[in-house]
Amino acid sequence: MKKFVSVVALASLSFGLLAAAPLAGDLVAAQKERIAAYKSAPKKRSHVAFVSNGVADFWTIAKAGAIAAGKAKDIDCDVTVEFPGGGLGDQKRMLDDLVIKGIDGISVRPIDPTNQAEVMNLVAEKSLLITNDSDAPNAPRLCYIGMDNYDAGLMCGKLAREGCKGGKVAIFIGRLEQDNAKRRRQGFIDGLLGRTPDPTRYDEPSKVFTEAGYTIVGTWTDSFDRAKAKANIEDVMIKHPDLALMTGLFEYNSTLAVEVIRQTGKEGKVQLAAFDEGADVIAAIKEGFVLGTVVQDPYGYGYESVKVLNAFTKGDMSMVPANGIINIPAKVIKKDNAEAFWKDLKAKIKAGKDAK
Amino acid sequence: MKRALGIIGIFLAILVFSIFFAENFTTGINLMQLTNRTALYSVLALGAALVIVTGGIDLSIGSVVCLAGIMTPWLLIEHEWTPWQVIPTVLAMSAFIGLCHGLLITRLKLQPFLVTLCGLLLYRGIARWMTGDQSQGFMGEYGDVRAIALAKFSIPGLTDYRLPATVIPALVLAILIGLFLSRTVWGRWLLATGRNESAARYSGVPTAWLVTGAYVACSLLAGFGGMLFIFDIGSAQPSDFGNFYELYAIAAAVLGGCSLRGGEASVVGVLFGVATLRVLQNTITLAGYSSQIEFAVVGGVLLLGVAADELIRRYAARRLERAGAAA
Repeated sequence: MKKFVSVVALASLSFGLLAAAPLAGDLVAAQKERIAAYKSAPKKRSHVAFVSNGVADFWTIAKAGAIAAGKAKDIDCDVTVEFPGGGLGDQKRMLDDLVIKGIDGISVRPIDPTNQAEVMNLVAEKSLLITNDSDAPNAPRLCYIGMDNYDAGLMCGKLAREGCKGGKVAIFIGRLEQDNAKRRRQGFIDGLLGRTPDPTRYDEPSKVFTEAGYTIVGTWTDSFDRAKAKANIEDVMIKHPDLALMTGLFEYNSTLAVEVIRQTGKEGKVQLAAFDEGADVIAAIKEGFVLGTVVQDPYGYGYESVKVLNAFTKGDMSMVPANGIINIPAKVIKKDNAEAFWKDLKAKIKAGKDAK
Repeated sequence: MKRALGIIGIFLAILVFSIFFAENFTTGINLMQLTNRTALYSVLALGAALVIVTGGIDLSIGSVVCLAGIMTPWLLIEHEWTPWQVIPTVLAMSAFIGLCHGLLITRLKLQPFLVTLCGLLLYRGIARWMTGDQSQGFMGEYGDVRAIALAKFSIPGLTDYRLPATVIPALVLAILIGLFLSRTVWGRWLLATGRNESAARYSGVPTAWLVTGAYVACSLLAGFGGMLFIFDIGSAQPSDFGNFYELYAIAAAVLGGCSLRGGEASVVGVLFGVATLRVLQNTITLAGYSSQIEFAVVGGVLLLGVAADELIRRYAARRLERAGAAA
């Protein structure tokens, strides 16, 4: 009997919790109502935050963008930038603290959207929530600012297809758990093989297959251990001495690929389609043995995040398109525009470092 | 040497498996990469072994690798120091870290686990703060300095295999530590300290200084290893560089016959312990297994190795007992 009572109690408790948990749609509507209320009583000076998923040069550039937006004449607001160095737990703590502080809006790069519903709901309930860099479509976010990782992967795949007409291809990536990694990888494969774009397609990472003259020999992950990442590239080049092309889909994967190509003297023999703006990658593009690299615009992510959140606090939601995605497209850097890109990037990193 | 027999057996078994099932495993270039990786991780594992011999533990190895590794390009590129200033400074700093650990453990009587756990957090924190969390690299410069880890020496008669430069410091260190432990009074004292610290102290062994020395050596080797790693890889990010390397070092030392209770060590075993872990990782890629399974395989083999070693030892002890009783 006791057991029965506890089961019933547990069931009703979970039902109660479920019923109490706010729905994403309701939270979005509530946020929109608050923004509408700002129309008649706009915030004089708002305070918004930009939260990354970790620490990297990439985020320093985003910080430069966020701080610059805060200082821009047409925006002019207070900006807090947070880089959680300790993963999921650290990011949750930072978001909680920002909400307690009474922040007006937060642009966050969720680490694991499916398991972060609680804290995302909290932000949406007490503040205004938008996402950047990697989306969380099921979260109560008002919009997403970033590029489509599938499209960026597609760009990288096309770049590879132009420079390498067939043969064995290896893919290196830090990890595959996150949505942006999966989409980027799939985009690369679809672009390389010249398929009709379809972001819902999924090729198993462990599957070796041949299509359109290319053989995808595998996808290797390293959980961000660089020595392991380098070992992966070396080992795959040994296993496949006739490897025609590789791609490093995270910044350091490409940087290490350049390093290994140099060390093994395979410049020009193994092609590389790179991702992101590692210094060695840009140098290798200028030298001519890397096809090119696909770069994101983190400065734009930071700048737009602050601009949009500040506009929300004035009651303006006009810049958010119907699909809720503010696209900041990726760019392809090749030999001809590498130098100009590098100079601009250096200036932005410096601005990010100096920004207070 | 006897203590290393178990790990040599496991190593040979994995080697045979790799030769048959891992594509291109026996090519010169693969063996060259494997020697290089084994040499790099050996530097850390030898340091870990010295501390484990005393019955202690050093959890800060990975963070010292990070701090020393990050500081090297940071001082060279950002602060434009010369290599002649950078290398001694980074090594001295690493030794100083070890000295602090040793003194806190022997004089203030703090637990090694605690002291080095705090170190783990402290040094990574310093590395991240110092560099503003920016990844540090050589920007394509200092090829001559990086040659310390990147140079390869041709061996007459071998066309495909060249000896990686990292083997030299690793071998020199292994021989020195091996001789120290087996041929010097100080080495015997260190083993005695690990086996029974009080007994050693009452016999007049300067246990506090020996233990401190072990921590100095461990951190110094971790710092040196960090430098070799960064020379090899070229760039690193302070937030993840060297993560878990202390565990690789400790695992290799324990696999190689060092008892976590102290007092036992085998330098040859440690080298084979490191080589086993590196060959396993290499084989997983070359044999075409998914890299997701790597940790599971390494964990499984480690457990098997340690369990088999323990069982063999018990069996040997029982035989010795029986032989003693019969006599």
